[in-house]
Amino acid sequence: MEPILQFKNVSRSFKKGRIPIPVLQDIDLSVNALEFLCLVGESGCGKTTTGKILSGLLAPSSGRVLFEGRDVSKLRGEAYRHYRRSVQIIHQDPYASLNPTQTIYDILSFPLFRHKLVHNRTQARDRVAELLTMVDLTPVLDVIDKYPHQLSGGQRQRVSIARALTTNPSVIIADEAVSMVDVSIRIGLLNMLMDMRTSLNVTIVFITHDLALAKYFAWDGRIAVMYLGRVVEIGRTPDLIGEPQHPYTRVLLSAIPEADPQKTRSKQHILLRSEDIPRLTELPPGCSFHPRCPWFVEGVCDARVPQLAPVPASASASEVACIPLTEGAALTLYTP
Amino acid sequence: MATHTPTAPALEAAPVPSFHLLDYLRRFYANYTVRTIFKALVTIWAVITFTFFLIRLMPGNPVEVYVDFLMNQQNMTYDEAYSRAASQFRFDPDASPVTQYVEYMGHLLQGDLGESITSSGTRVIDQIARFLPWTIFSVGLGLLISFTLGATLGTIMAYKRNTFIDHTLSLISSILSAVPNYIWGLMILIIFGVQLRWFNVGELRGTYSPTMTPGFTLEFLGDVLKHAMLPVLVYVTGSIGGWMLNMRNSTIGTLGEDYVGVARARGLTSSRILLAYVGRNASLPMFTLLAINIGFIIGGSVIIEELFVYKGIGSFLYWSISQRDYTSMQGVFLIITISVVVSNLMADLLYSRLDPRVRVSGEK
Amino acid sequence: MTATTYEPTRQRSPHFFDSLFASLGIFGLALRRNRAGMVGFIGLMIYAVWVLIGPYLVPFDDQVRLDQIASPPGSRLVMITRVEDVSRYTSLDDLNGQTVGVLDRSGGETMVEPYEDSGALEVETERFSSGRGVPALLDQLAEGDVDAVVLFSDAAKRYLTPSSSGENDYPGLVVSNAELGRPYILGTDTQGRDILSHIVHGGTTLITTALVAGLMSTLIAVVLGAMAALVGGMVDTIVTAIANLVLTIPSFPLLIVLAALIQLNNPLMLALLIALLSWPVLMRAIRSQVLSLRERDYVEAAFALDLGLRHIILREILPNMMSFVAINFIFAVTRAMYDQVGLIFLGMVPINDYTWGVMLYFGRSRGTLFSPDSASMVLSPVIAIALFQVSMVLFARSLEEMFDPRLRTAK
Repeated sequence: MEPILQFKNVSRSFKKGRIPIPVLQDIDLSVNALEFLCLVGESGCGKTTTGKILSGLLAPSSGRVLFEGRDVSKLRGEAYRHYRRSVQIIHQDPYASLNPTQTIYDILSFPLFRHKLVHNRTQARDRVAELLTMVDLTPVLDVIDKYPHQLSGGQRQRVSIARALTTNPSVIIADEAVSMVDVSIRIGLLNMLMDMRTSLNVTIVFITHDLALAKYFAWDGRIAVMYLGRVVEIGRTPDLIGEPQHPYTRVLLSAIPEADPQKTRSKQHILLRSEDIPRLTELPPGCSFHPRCPWFVEGVCDARVPQLAPVPASASASEVACIPLTEGAALTLYTP
Repeated sequence: MATHTPTAPALEAAPVPSFHLLDYLRRFYANYTVRTIFKALVTIWAVITFTFFLIRLMPGNPVEVYVDFLMNQQNMTYDEAYSRAASQFRFDPDASPVTQYVEYMGHLLQGDLGESITSSGTRVIDQIARFLPWTIFSVGLGLLISFTLGATLGTIMAYKRNTFIDHTLSLISSILSAVPNYIWGLMILIIFGVQLRWFNVGELRGTYSPTMTPGFTLEFLGDVLKHAMLPVLVYVTGSIGGWMLNMRNSTIGTLGEDYVGVARARGLTSSRILLAYVGRNASLPMFTLLAINIGFIIGGSVIIEELFVYKGIGSFLYWSISQRDYTSMQGVFLIITISVVVSNLMADLLYSRLDPRVRVSGEK
Repeated sequence: MTATTYEPTRQRSPHFFDSLFASLGIFGLALRRNRAGMVGFIGLMIYAVWVLIGPYLVPFDDQVRLDQIASPPGSRLVMITRVEDVSRYTSLDDLNGQTVGVLDRSGGETMVEPYEDSGALEVETERFSSGRGVPALLDQLAEGDVDAVVLFSDAAKRYLTPSSSGENDYPGLVVSNAELGRPYILGTDTQGRDILSHIVHGGTTLITTALVAGLMSTLIAVVLGAMAALVGGMVDTIVTAIANLVLTIPSFPLLIVLAALIQLNNPLMLALLIALLSWPVLMRAIRSQVLSLRERDYVEAAFALDLGLRHIILREILPNMMSFVAINFIFAVTRAMYDQVGLIFLGMVPINDYTWGVMLYFGRSRGTLFSPDSASMVLSPVIAIALFQVSMVLFARSLEEMFDPRLRTAK
């Protein structure tokens, strides 16, 4: 498959006072056309920043972002606008992502007019109605002239999705797009996103902290697990879930409760060596997971920074950033 | 962060003196108090510089106006007037503005604000020393009363929010803060002084009765208080509304905080919650406002002191302006500015005592 | 779907009119909910009529009337006759062909003027200061030299009502018509001029100057605040530094010092000066507002949709600050009023216009402040200014509610 978006060695840091905080470090990542890619990680791992850089809302501090094979920072004129239109984002908070002073019609018609997708009001209202129907906000007349505060959280999130669709994008980045709506509505929203992938030919990058959600919805896609600004494991969902390689992925998966209590009880619980997540300003040398890793190898993990590579001894096709694994060693529990 | 590696003693020895001095200064500067005082000094310097050039660059700067005045009023020739102005203003008007500025700053650093133009032989600094204490006394007393009373009423409003008491007090505080303080002064003067004759307007003029001999006698202090009564009343009326509304909103915000809820859940007495949890945290933001208010009231004291013929620094500023006594005018203005900066500084330091977060990060 | 499926049922543009009606509805709702705001709004409407239409309805009274100096509110001209003539001379028409006594340079003069043609008018030619000619005039009436006297009620009262000792100087004289002229609702000033007319005329310049100063201050604050927040970097650093500096300088004393240097002949200059010293507070607030609005998800979405910077500032950021800007504009106007009237009161601004501020200035400089008789002269502008400020502040509170999104949900 052709990668539509690519990260080449992307790093990003923010300054707090005079101290730079490295939020992303040396990320290489490709988003393939029409795939469902999940970015998974705990809060503060840099997944939102990754989403913003992918959608061009944030520039990387170093490294390159390629869209359809071309460096985004060098795009000008029509090429830039094409990129801009092609990658859209859906925010987490449906209460903050819609301008309270605009009606739903305003919100959805501004981009249509701006990009000359419609030429008059009648066309605009038809297209807006079409978009609203697409996201199951019917009857349209009940919604179209309302203000965001007159809608429920779930409805607003549907408007958010409709807005992302106005420019006929080829990539949609959904940043925790369902985490703030009621659980009962989540499944509907997610199924809708899944359907869009095939009906509208959209690539979806789904950012979540919930590995269970990723497992359920991205079964035919891929999952990238992030930890403290780096991708630690990336692979097809069945591989990654079925045969997790990286210690961090294993820990995460072991923490997911199963619906079957029997299974949950029999599940092997991996204990971390430390519960504390290191601060981004004081990252440990080598592999940043090493202070917590149960399979820590002294002199290796705290000395060298691991790179993503396949694991030779495994049937899984996932790429993993773990030196002992990629160099063919077996994991042994660390004993000081 | 220097990591001390015992293997490299030679490297450590070389850059010793400058490194230690800088390091020492940096550590000194990291101290919150030192940094705040340093910033205040820089602000004072910036304000002096700014106003120096502002007044010099204005059409009709003090020297020109004074030269005109001398030529017209005392029939001096231009040259005579010019040299007289030069001597009074403590700088050479022919020199470049920068040279003038350097000279002015030089005098200023020695505490020399020049001599009064109209009453020669009188040093401006002495005049200020004579008038400033009265303003500090009356403004300070007014502020103390309105802050205490306003904070108390504001807390009551917050506790009784959306009741009749709250609505009434809110309305009253809106009205009190909306009307300019000198308008309150005029109303009090006309209605209670002139019409109802509750007090004798004439007797209350000045800072103390002319028959009194200043001293720490009970009689004298009573007289001083009597004379300060009207200005203080006006300062209180004019500023209490703001305190009430701010304290109300601040307290309502604090009452919604989780730690107050937890304190309640822990069964702490309501008076303890009020004092240790709500009061302390709600009044914190008030200290910044306190500093701003001091500046505003000292600024506004010009009109109030003029109105009640209270001989403070504001009244002196007005006098020096109407007499075209520019050296006095500049001196007073400078002192007012410095007092504002100093009150800001004190508020900052007080804030840091009360809110540990400020001391550590240095930023709010 | 047909082209008209999603047209609104009513045949007008929902975009403009709906929002207009909606905002008017919200406005009404806000005012109904906030009684204090309603009072403020009505107050401001009254002031608007007062400032805009009042001067055309009530002429500015510049007529010096020596018998009417500093008369209390409600004073008016009355007609005095001898007791036996009390029913004969009650109206001005009755005076046709009769001799009327009036004080020279007084209000009565103009009133009796139309009857001069009858040739029967006799005017006291001596110039009298307040009330001093009144006894002479009343003596003439008592002796039958004149048939009636048109006099100011304030002066008449002093001679015709029994004094504390129970004695009436002119037992043979009575007021035959107590409502001859129109009453001076607010009384007269130290030159016998109608205070009400001065109050009607005295607000226009003050309020306009305060509005202009508030507008300029708000404009500077919005432009610099938005620029500092959106451009950032050096611009932000410099603008913030200047704002902090100006904020530290006590603005009123600086205003006095500058007013002493520059001749502020033009109200526009005064407004500009006030604006230049008052923008920093609002600018800092706007800057932080824009900074926080810029981080909102919907602004980010607008960037992602490539809606353009113009759209983002005008349609995404500004509408969400309008209430904040409007409320602060009102407070800027009240601040400007404070500064302006304060300067005028201290006599730091050349007097071009007889404003409320000038009335206060004269009240102080001519000592009328301390005279019990002329309270109205100072109290009237004091109340006019106070009520204006109170109306503004109460209205600002209702605006706060008007833009509260919770109120819209209630629609």
